[in-house]
Amino acid sequence: MKAAAKSTLPGVPGWRRRERRRLAFRYVGAVIVTVLFLFPIYWLFMISFKTPAEIFASPPTWYAESLQWANYAVLFKDGDAVTVWNSLVVATSSTVIAMIIGTMAAYSIARFRTGGDNLAIWIISQRMIPPIVIVFPVFLLYVWLGRLGLAWIDSYHGLIVLYTAFNLPYVIWMMRGYIEDIPIELEESALVDGLTRFQVLWQVVFPMARAGLFATAVFTFMFAWNDFIFALVLTRIDVTTFPVQVTHYFGGQSNFWAKIAAMSVLGTVPIFIAVALLQRYLVRGISLGAVKG
Amino acid sequence: MATTYEAIGDRGVKYWLIWPAVLILLLIGLFPIIYTLLVSFQNINMLEEDTSFSGFMHYAALFGDTRLWLSILHTLIFTAIALPIELILGLAMAYLFLDRMPGRQIFVALLVLPVMISPIVAGATWRLLFDNRFGPINQILGWITGEPQTILWLVNPNFVYPAILIAEIWQWTPFMFLLLLAGLSNVDQSQLEAAELDGASWWRTFWKVVLPAIRPVLAIALLIRALDLIRLFDVVWALTKGGPGTMTETISIYAYVQGFQQFETSYTAAVAIMIILLLSIVVILVLKRMEIAR
Amino acid sequence: MFRNICTGLAALAVLGLVGKAEAQSAAETAVEAAKQFAGTEITIVWEAGLQSLDPLNFSGPKWKELTGIDVKVIEVPTAEMFTKILQEHRAGTGAYDALNVIPSWMSDLARAGALEPLDEYVDKYGYRDELQTIAPVYRDNQMKVGDTIYGFPDDGDVFLFYYRKDILEENGMSVPTTWDEFAETAQALTDKYAPDMYGAAMFRDAPYTQWMFQERFRVEGGRFFDEETMAATVNSDVGVKVFAEMREENKFMPPGVEAWGFVENLAAFLAGDTAMTVSWPPYGRWAAGYGTDEEALSWVPKSEIAGKVGYALPPGGHPQLAAGFSLSVSASSKNKEAAYLFIQWLNSEETSLERVQLPYALRDPFRDSHFASDEYKSRWPEASEYLAALQEGAVSGLLDLSLIQTDKYEEALRQGVSRLWAGEDPQAILDDVAAQWDAVTERIGTDKQKEAYLDWASKPNAYPQ
Repeated sequence: MKAAAKSTLPGVPGWRRRERRRLAFRYVGAVIVTVLFLFPIYWLFMISFKTPAEIFASPPTWYAESLQWANYAVLFKDGDAVTVWNSLVVATSSTVIAMIIGTMAAYSIARFRTGGDNLAIWIISQRMIPPIVIVFPVFLLYVWLGRLGLAWIDSYHGLIVLYTAFNLPYVIWMMRGYIEDIPIELEESALVDGLTRFQVLWQVVFPMARAGLFATAVFTFMFAWNDFIFALVLTRIDVTTFPVQVTHYFGGQSNFWAKIAAMSVLGTVPIFIAVALLQRYLVRGISLGAVKG
Repeated sequence: MATTYEAIGDRGVKYWLIWPAVLILLLIGLFPIIYTLLVSFQNINMLEEDTSFSGFMHYAALFGDTRLWLSILHTLIFTAIALPIELILGLAMAYLFLDRMPGRQIFVALLVLPVMISPIVAGATWRLLFDNRFGPINQILGWITGEPQTILWLVNPNFVYPAILIAEIWQWTPFMFLLLLAGLSNVDQSQLEAAELDGASWWRTFWKVVLPAIRPVLAIALLIRALDLIRLFDVVWALTKGGPGTMTETISIYAYVQGFQQFETSYTAAVAIMIILLLSIVVILVLKRMEIAR
Repeated sequence: MFRNICTGLAALAVLGLVGKAEAQSAAETAVEAAKQFAGTEITIVWEAGLQSLDPLNFSGPKWKELTGIDVKVIEVPTAEMFTKILQEHRAGTGAYDALNVIPSWMSDLARAGALEPLDEYVDKYGYRDELQTIAPVYRDNQMKVGDTIYGFPDDGDVFLFYYRKDILEENGMSVPTTWDEFAETAQALTDKYAPDMYGAAMFRDAPYTQWMFQERFRVEGGRFFDEETMAATVNSDVGVKVFAEMREENKFMPPGVEAWGFVENLAAFLAGDTAMTVSWPPYGRWAAGYGTDEEALSWVPKSEIAGKVGYALPPGGHPQLAAGFSLSVSASSKNKEAAYLFIQWLNSEETSLERVQLPYALRDPFRDSHFASDEYKSRWPEASEYLAALQEGAVSGLLDLSLIQTDKYEEALRQGVSRLWAGEDPQAILDDVAAQWDAVTERIGTDKQKEAYLDWASKPNAYPQ
């Protein structure tokens, strides 16, 4: 917008040249910054393709001789890769549930101001409590349920419920904003036309908020996908998620670099896809809806 | 307006829509906290399940627990250093990309990647980078200084804070960048041009025009990051687990160690209650004042 | 060395005969009885990394083939094993069936009710005789809590001293028998060869070094507690001296040694970058080039020093029997019988002899018959010297400190070590450690802990005799 305004200025040749040089400098800066920020990710990917000899070369080499997949193959052979599947199951289920329940609540708050400001603030403040403080009593709760014969530790449902609860405030908060963006008149005319409240939700609100729903879902998925501390405390074997698995390779007699890198990459690739999908909603998503982007 | 709208259809619907969410939040958010409160007055530890009440014993012990207060101090140090650096770097980057440049979307998409990856993966990655022999950082420093470097980033107390901070700042500066870029893009162009015509210096324009305009964005960005830093766990866990000694132990790590490694269940409950109380007060006060609450 | 060989030969003569006298072996009994559980799955907690290659690549698949029972290996990093096992017990989900337990934690885990008493099973499946042929120091100290069997000692972990015979010989030096001699020799070698080669290196990361400290502290005459008052005496002059010396030694070791773990130290020694080191037994095998061609060990640097390595006890002559593993059954397991049979089979004479010879695994000889095995001795030219040194270590070795809530005492030491490398004052650090120990003791109950300590201290291998 700003640049467009400037380009309408009289085309003084000297000014043009200065502007072009400035642009060149900015490109150089942009490339340097991007390289700096991407280098760690590059290094991670590279290690995942290195042979042991290459990993333990001192001084280190900066690229793998060949793209060999042995480090990944071993994760699949030993069954460690199933942790990525666990992450997928848990993150997907909790996202779906949180989206449904959360959007309903968001609609209620957005349209009826249910509970007033206090309820809304209470809900978002839930999101701000440190995870360790949430997971500690939840662990005790699950243990207690275990004594009653209900297996909640190391179970899909145990993690799904916790992630759902943890993500609900986010979903409610975000969807409230997206729903408020929809002109209320549309709903009103639909209601006047005789549609029930649920029909309105289904036929008017959801289609209008589709983009917001989608963006919120991807972020919700990502929070569950990336979480470490809940899974660290609440999983043992059956539902270990990939971040916990990554830490299993530290320590012992050595750090298993190849496995750390390969497992990390497996868990990072879906995120890259998410980023590609999210482009337009990134800013609004990570700023809890405060910045519309 | 709202009255005619609400008058149509089932008036109870608003409660029907919200109760599942409230129920879950109460179940996971409130009930366990009450349970924690109960446990904090008992005396449960690794070997004993002593459910008799011990009064405020654990709360009294909080005051004499230097490791706890040090962990709070470490957390505040991380926050106090990382937050301004992320802000300044993010702002600088936002200015770099503010004006039109072909391909900007691609740069932004690439730069945002660190924010999106799992913090534990970020920590693991930096652990590989910081390795004193097989990591590239000492190698690069060796090139710069002209002699081989064997800095023990994660052992040497002089380097362990910089190491963790570098990882943390690497991951979250793009967050600041992204938000501030959005904020700066929305600054009213005519005001900037007016300032330029008045011959105001860059600084003056920044303070008088830009800063007030981006203040809401800045505030929310700082709030989110500050709250994230206060619960800092993953990156430190992957890099040092709080070591050497307890030198980099944050409050979250301390609570984890007490609760799940030392099995001081009741004492941890007291620590948790303390954190909840302190933070809830701060968060609610801040939220009420901020734009986000509207 | 001649004496070592003699000991080895004598052991071979006596035990070779005993071993042959069995009718149906414990391994066969276990396999037969386990067939009824074919089609089920058992989980076993194992130390993450190399240790796990044994059940992953060898014993797990073999057991499956013999009995039809699947074995799922749960890899847990050493530092988290205790935590995870206890967490699991607290949660009681029955996720773990069989366990690897570091013996110094066994009493804590048993007291917490996390371990299944094994006596009944031992009798039912006729395993008592074969338990008796486990080397005495492991059998007597790493099997029972009180009079109850809670685990089968399964790993003859002991710190050995490895040195370059050729280098010492060239320089007319003898094998150091005290830590002072060690420092002198290492310093001289570093002065002469560095940076191509350093006189010595060790793994220095805190979890391992705290065991090294325990050893040297006792070798120099230190006592952990005052037997009357139960006050921690780890901050005595001896403790401070050992701490200060350990840090001083880093100066003749390669730069960055403070961060070295098991593998870094191994790599340097095998590459010929260091002349002396102390570590667990696998170093001896890999230094000789035994098994390093295996794909699983492809990351271990090729040994440049095969045939040039001598084995001895560490200076002071009382090596730490650091860590080790016993096999136990989880009290919350839902498949205890099958889990038990698996560990009996693993631990039996036959299977264990194969397992300690797995070139890529980390289980070290722990039965009399392992030390005496002709097969093992033929593995590489100096293998019999190696086995003799291990056996000698098993006699004079020192037990890890084991009390109520041992992990808390070890954690304080680990933090102390990590502060030592960070450059703090040894006296100040150890005063803190002692204060932490006292605080833990007081919380547990001084009398209760005193009883546990005196019981531990009365064992022949608690302090140097």
